[in-house]
Amino acid sequence: MRISLLFGGAVAALGLAACAPGDTTTDTASAPALDVQVHDGEFATIQQFTTPGGVSVWLVEEPSIPILSLRMAWTAGETNDPAGVEGLTNAMVYHMNEGAGELDAQGFFKGMEELNMSFSCGASNESTFCNSSMLTDNANESFEMITLALSEPRFDDGPFERFLREQEVGLQTRETNPQYLASRARAATLYPDHAYAREMSAESIAAITQDAMRAQKDLLMVKEGLLVTAVGAMSPQELAPLIDQAVAGLPDRSETAETSNVVLAAAQTAPVTVDLPQPQSLVTFAAPAMTREDPDFYTAVVLNYTFGGGGFQSRLMKDLRVEKGLTYGVYTQVSSQDKIQLWSGGGQTKNESAGEFIAGVKANMETMVADGMTEEELANAKAYLTGSYPLGFDSNAKIAGRMMGVRLDELPVDFFDKRNAMVEAVTLEDVNRVASEYLSPDNFTFVVVGQPEGLDG
Amino acid sequence: MKYLISGGLAAMAVFGSTALADSAEDTWAPETFTLDNGMDVVVLPDHRAPVVTHMVWYKVGAVDEDQGKSGIAHLFEHVMFKDTDDLEDGEFAATVARLGGQHNAFTSWDYTAYYQRVAKQHLGKMMALEAERMTDLIIDEDPEGSFITERDVVKEERRQRVDNNPGVILREKVLAEFWKGHPYEITVIGRMDEVEALTPQDGIDFYNKFYSPENTILIVAGDVTGDEVRTLAEEHYGQIEPSGLVDGTRKWADVPALTETQEIVHSDPKVRQPVWYRYYNGTSQKRDQDFSLALDVGLDVLGGGNTSLLYVALVEEQKLAVNVGTFAWTGLHDNGPAVIYATPSPGVSMEELEAAVMAEMTALMETGFSDEDVARVRNSMAAAAIYARDSQENMANLFGGWLAIGGSIEDLMSYEDDVRGVTAEAALAAVRTTFATDNHYIEAQLLPAEGEL
Repeated sequence: MRISLLFGGAVAALGLAACAPGDTTTDTASAPALDVQVHDGEFATIQQFTTPGGVSVWLVEEPSIPILSLRMAWTAGETNDPAGVEGLTNAMVYHMNEGAGELDAQGFFKGMEELNMSFSCGASNESTFCNSSMLTDNANESFEMITLALSEPRFDDGPFERFLREQEVGLQTRETNPQYLASRARAATLYPDHAYAREMSAESIAAITQDAMRAQKDLLMVKEGLLVTAVGAMSPQELAPLIDQAVAGLPDRSETAETSNVVLAAAQTAPVTVDLPQPQSLVTFAAPAMTREDPDFYTAVVLNYTFGGGGFQSRLMKDLRVEKGLTYGVYTQVSSQDKIQLWSGGGQTKNESAGEFIAGVKANMETMVADGMTEEELANAKAYLTGSYPLGFDSNAKIAGRMMGVRLDELPVDFFDKRNAMVEAVTLEDVNRVASEYLSPDNFTFVVVGQPEGLDG
Repeated sequence: MKYLISGGLAAMAVFGSTALADSAEDTWAPETFTLDNGMDVVVLPDHRAPVVTHMVWYKVGAVDEDQGKSGIAHLFEHVMFKDTDDLEDGEFAATVARLGGQHNAFTSWDYTAYYQRVAKQHLGKMMALEAERMTDLIIDEDPEGSFITERDVVKEERRQRVDNNPGVILREKVLAEFWKGHPYEITVIGRMDEVEALTPQDGIDFYNKFYSPENTILIVAGDVTGDEVRTLAEEHYGQIEPSGLVDGTRKWADVPALTETQEIVHSDPKVRQPVWYRYYNGTSQKRDQDFSLALDVGLDVLGGGNTSLLYVALVEEQKLAVNVGTFAWTGLHDNGPAVIYATPSPGVSMEELEAAVMAEMTALMETGFSDEDVARVRNSMAAAAIYARDSQENMANLFGGWLAIGGSIEDLMSYEDDVRGVTAEAALAAVRTTFATDNHYIEAQLLPAEGEL
């Protein structure tokens, strides 16, 4: 039972499915004086405070295991890559644990291993983040490593050359990766001129320099706007000085560019196909959705569960998998990001049945638009969506991640407590109206990767 | 029938005691007991959230399949979600979902497990559902019915997991040679032609032979106590009579050493990055715990990540590889392979890569490991036991997976100390034994093919 290898029995096991009220008080500590707002919520007791250095932190104290999960995030990301230097932010975050101060990459990695800590950074279109796990017994030394990484990253030649070699390989392998090919075709079809359709190329990678990475770090990782969440066996008074120390070397602020909203092109009537020699086709589809702030957002969440988001409870799974045996899994999701909102889905089926699979998805859309959901389906969707919510709060890492999601979406600290009521408030009338507005097959562009047959039918 | 602990509620030593010594909680312990019908029960308390993970592990897997029936253990796992006396097709999943639960199941060579994650007040209902399908499954014998549809689903699953992925196709070919003559030689999902020929009667036979309480382990992790689980388990599972048909023998067997060195090449137009592998005879933690731990430590020192000796030499210094590593499948009941793998840097030939990797292996095994490198690896492996506690799902999987192949709770509780007890000499000796120059191996290459792409 080698512990690190056994989680989920990854190499040896096959799964069944592919897919997945508080009051506020004030607590003043002895020293340093820290104004801590305690939100005693149903799912977590969140302590909000601003460190003496000005960093806004949400902390859940969890004394029962000696682990701290820490997340830091900034609300600007890869879209800040200069034109022609796509991949710069990616390169920068890659190097954030590849040596700092006196420690070269090997020294830094070994230091982390000796402390049994992890620290790494990443980026998405609109965010840059760093995550860490540490044993609370080693918190001081672990934060010294984070401090070093954030204030004195080296961007050495060795890791940089390795990064370039890995990217050269990555540019090759992505050309036969069905998921990548599908998302590229989707972007090229629905928003070809938007920043989100930009991607790394051999030329853009060649334009990356170590100086440009340093500048990109100073642009994206600054004190202003930094969000921190943490869960573990530490108090605000213990954590605040460690965080201040960690970010002391960051610039105060910077000017990042605002991304424009994605305006989707009209849906394609025929599927867009990408040829790839394999026995099974990947079918994906996407249409416009609403923003996170839209009053219909939770209606869409409920509708999506019944249509394609609810695993074995969804109409698409019941029809295309259970009834017809056409696929191992099919799903849909509502993805309402700040600048792009998509109702999308996908599944895989043998090439011979690709046409039948698409016809089946469209038929289910038409039925939903025409007849809507039943009262029973609505009740089942609400029961699952509300009843399963506590499952997302049973580990330090999950809670830290969920809190960061709330913070990045600029939702309030009592969001977790109010969310189920928003699901409960959805009516059948709402659902059926939203179905007819969003789920018509004419809204969807289908992309198929493989050697599909029967697409004309 | 071998019980974990015969009778009584046993409190165990601390999981991760050394590292937890001065920490917040130092009294964590699983509780175990056995129902009268032979079902073993393990409770893993975690009171952070009002949630439980409920798992039933059956001591049957692909290893137990009859000749020509490959894939039945896994297909049968799918069939367990179909009709029972009291539940219609799909009602199991629908009931769990209405209670806000998540559920799934998985099959390996050694075991089959079913689980639900649910708010703690629904634990009894989960047990009722699992008990129902343990005793009252109805297998659809209609030639166009649900057994047959599910067979089609599994064929799509096979295409998705195996046939679409050149790297997985290669691994399937290599393992078939590696385990030739041993029941592990066929991949868990089965051969496409044999899966296609499975019948409802095969399902009925399999169910009757293996699905009975004396062949199961119940794991409940989360916000419960041993007493609560005992009461519920006795109510829902305790009444089930053992079928009497399970004799407890498994088809586990010694894995014969490779008797010749062979090369297996798989080319595919989808491959854009060649990969080179060597599969050697390895070990298993169940069969040889000391050697297995020593090998795991040795392989991590050699090739377990970006501070490993091979990585530093071939990726960082010689720049001949984009990646290189070593690992062993030690978690199965019977011996799995110990593997060296590498992906060449652009422009480096497979021959050049192989020569460089093996030259480095030879030199490192000659020189030996520093105490510092070995200590760092031991420390990381031991800390995994602490981080595992952040997830009740991981804990349930960890305990279930080990106990289902006949391991003991004591092994798990002493894991951290056992890992810390591996010496540099033992780690080196395990590596030298495994990769000795006159040992046979299977060399595998994943290569791009000429094609229209």
